Amino acid sequence: MSLIRRRPVSHAPLPALLCRWDLDKTYLRSEFDTLRQLWRTARESGADKVEVPGVADVIKALRNAADRRGRPVAIHFISASPPQIGKAIREKLALDGIRYDGIVFKNQLQHIARGRFRNLREHVGFKLAELLRGRQGSAPGTREVLFGDDWESDPLTYSLYADVVAGRLPPDRLGPILTRIGVDPEAVPVVLGLAEEVGGAEGVERIFINLERRTPPASFQLFGPRLVPAFNYFQTAIVLAADGLIDTEDVARVARALLDRSGYTPRRLENSLADVLRRNLVSLDAARSLSEPLRADGLLPPARRRRGEWVERMRARLRRLRRPTPPAPQTGPLDYDAILDWYRDRFRPAPTRPDDAGAAS
Amino acid sequence: MPVIAVDAMGGDHGPAEAVRGVAQVSLETDIECLLVGDEHKIQAVLEQVPYNPESIEILHCRDQIGMDDDPREAVKQKKDASLVVGVRAVAEGRAEAMVSAGNTGASILACAKRFTLLPGIRRAALASVYPRYTEYPGQDPLALLLDAGATVHCEPAELVQFALMGSAYARRISKVPSPRVGLLNMGREDTKGGEALVETNRRLRQLPVLNFVGNVEGHDLVRGRADVIVCEGMLGNVALKLFEGVSEVLTDVARAAAERRLMWRVGLRLLSQGIEKVQALTDYSQYGGSPILGFEHLFIKCHGRSQARAIANGVKVAAKAVRDRVPAEIADALSGHGGGHA
Repeated sequence: MSLIRRRPVSHAPLPALLCRWDLDKTYLRSEFDTLRQLWRTARESGADKVEVPGVADVIKALRNAADRRGRPVAIHFISASPPQIGKAIREKLALDGIRYDGIVFKNQLQHIARGRFRNLREHVGFKLAELLRGRQGSAPGTREVLFGDDWESDPLTYSLYADVVAGRLPPDRLGPILTRIGVDPEAVPVVLGLAEEVGGAEGVERIFINLERRTPPASFQLFGPRLVPAFNYFQTAIVLAADGLIDTEDVARVARALLDRSGYTPRRLENSLADVLRRNLVSLDAARSLSEPLRADGLLPPARRRRGEWVERMRARLRRLRRPTPPAPQTGPLDYDAILDWYRDRFRPAPTRPDDAGAAS
Repeated sequence: MPVIAVDAMGGDHGPAEAVRGVAQVSLETDIECLLVGDEHKIQAVLEQVPYNPESIEILHCRDQIGMDDDPREAVKQKKDASLVVGVRAVAEGRAEAMVSAGNTGASILACAKRFTLLPGIRRAALASVYPRYTEYPGQDPLALLLDAGATVHCEPAELVQFALMGSAYARRISKVPSPRVGLLNMGREDTKGGEALVETNRRLRQLPVLNFVGNVEGHDLVRGRADVIVCEGMLGNVALKLFEGVSEVLTDVARAAAERRLMWRVGLRLLSQGIEKVQALTDYSQYGGSPILGFEHLFIKCHGRSQARAIANGVKVAAKAVRDRVPAEIADALSGHGGGHA
C-alpha cells in the first residue's frame, strides 16, 4: 500500500494545474550581483545559460504526471528581466526540452524612458499584476503551484497573490500593503482592479522557494505552511510527490539527473530527504514509501541496519506522537506587517566585520 | 569527501555553537558532517542559520556527557551520550574522524574504549596546537605540544612514541618537512631532568629520522626553537593552562588599567591594532583543536568554550588529517623505527 498522501479516488476530472515559474535564480543560475555580471548575463546566448540543477526535470515531471492523470496543465514563466534577453531565454528553454505555455518579461526600458528608476528594482507590482492577469485567463477551479527563490520578493509576491485569489485579501486591505512596499502609485489601481476580478476561491496549493541564498528556513515561518523553502530540486520533487502532483518515478528521474549531471551523491540526496523530513514538510510514511524504490534503484544509499534499530524506531514513533498536530488551514491573510518588517530588516545592510581566518595549519 | 562526526552536545555552548559551526562548514566546504546529538535541539538551531542540508546528517541520541561529569563513570554509564555514540559511529566506519568540544577526559576514554591503537603504540597522546614566536621567516607560527594530559606519567618509550607521532602530524598538517622536536625539561643539558628524561633524551638522539634539537626549557615553548615539544601529560597540561592563564590575566590587567586612567585608555586605543593582532595570534578558535594521536581514527578535541568558528576550524583540521592520512603516516613512522623502542 502506498502511504504517500494521494487525492481521493474520484471519477470527476481533476482541475487544471497552472505552474508559474520565476526565471532568474529559480530556473537559471543567473549572476548579476555586480554590473559586470549583469552585463555578461545580458550578453549570454541560450547555450551559455546554466540552469539550477534538477529544475528542468521537475518541470518535465509536473507535465508528465499531469498527462498521465489526464489533467490539463500549463507552465508559465514570469520574469522581471527585460524582454531583450527573451531570445536567449527561449533558446535555453528549447535546449532543455521545456514545453511551456507562456512567458512574460518586465519592460524595463519603459520605466527608464519614464524616469521611473525605482521601478527597475521593484518587482512586486509587476509580478502580482502578471499573476493576476494569468489567473483571469485560466479555467475556473484551476489549482496553482508557484516557484520562486529567496533573492528578492517572490515569497511576498506569491503569498499576496495566493491570499488575493483565495479572497482573504480584498483590495481595501491589499492597497495599503502595496503602498508600504513602494509599488509604483500608477500601478497600484491596476493591481487592485485585477484583484477585484479574480478573488474568491482557494487556488494556490503550494509556493516553492528555491533557497539559492541559503536563507534559514525558519525565516519563512511567517509565510505559513503553504510556502515550502527548498534547498534543491530533489527536495521540491519530494514535496510535490507527497502532495500527489508527481509520482515516485518522476522523483527518481530528478534524482538520477542530479546524480548524473550535477555531481550529487546518493548520500547527499539522502541528507536532503532527511532534512525535508525533519522540517515536517512530508510525513515519515511518505518519505519512507518514496525512498524505498529510490534505494532499490541505487539513487539513495542502502538502508542502514543498525543494532538496536527497532528501539530507535519506537523512539521515533513516540517522538512523532509528541509532535504538535499539523497547523490548521489558513483562514485569514498572513501577517503582512510582520512580513514587511522582516523584509526591511533582511535587506538592511549588515555591519561589516573583519574576515574570519580559515583554519590555521 | 571525508565524513566528520561532530559532537553537537559537547562543550559549554552545545548544541548552538557546534551546530552553527557545522552549518558554516556546510556552506564553505565539501566536507560532510555527521552531527551527533538530540535531533530536535539540533534541528531547532539549524533552521535558524544558513546551511546546506546536503552535507549534514544527524545521528540522534538522547544523552550527553557534561563538562563536570566524572569521565570514567560517564563513559561507562551514558551509552547513549553524543560523545560515546559519535566515537562508536567513527569506529563502525560511519564517519572517518570525530570533533568534540566536550569533556576532555571522557573524550580520551571513549576513544580508548572504541578505537584501536595503531600497531606498536603503547599510549595515545593529546596533542595541543599553540601559538609561538617564530625564529625565521616562513616558520609555522604554531607549535605542537604532546602530551597535554592524556597520560599523566610516561615512560621513555612512550615519550619517544609521542615524538614520532607529533613529528608525523606536523609533517602532514603543518607541512613542515622536517619538524624540530624538543624534549621539555628543566635544562638544556642532556643529563638534566632525572632518569626517565635522560633516557628519553638518549633514545631520541639515536633516532636519525627525527630532527631532535635536544632538551627545551619552559621559555623555549613560546619561541621557535622546536616545532614539536614532547613531555608527559601532567607537565604539558600545566604548561598549557599557564599560557591560558597568563593570556587572560594580561587582558584583565589591560582592561582594568583602561578603566582607571584616561591616559592609559588613550594609550591602549593607540595600541589597539597591535593588541588585536596579538589577540588573533593567541585566539584558540583559529587553531582547530587538539588531536588525540595514536589511534587508527582521529579525534579533534576543541576547547570547551569553543564557539562556531572554533568548531568549524576543528572540522576542517579533522578533514585535512583524514585526507592526508595522518594515522597511516604515524603508523609508518612508528613501524619504520621499531615503534620507538630504541
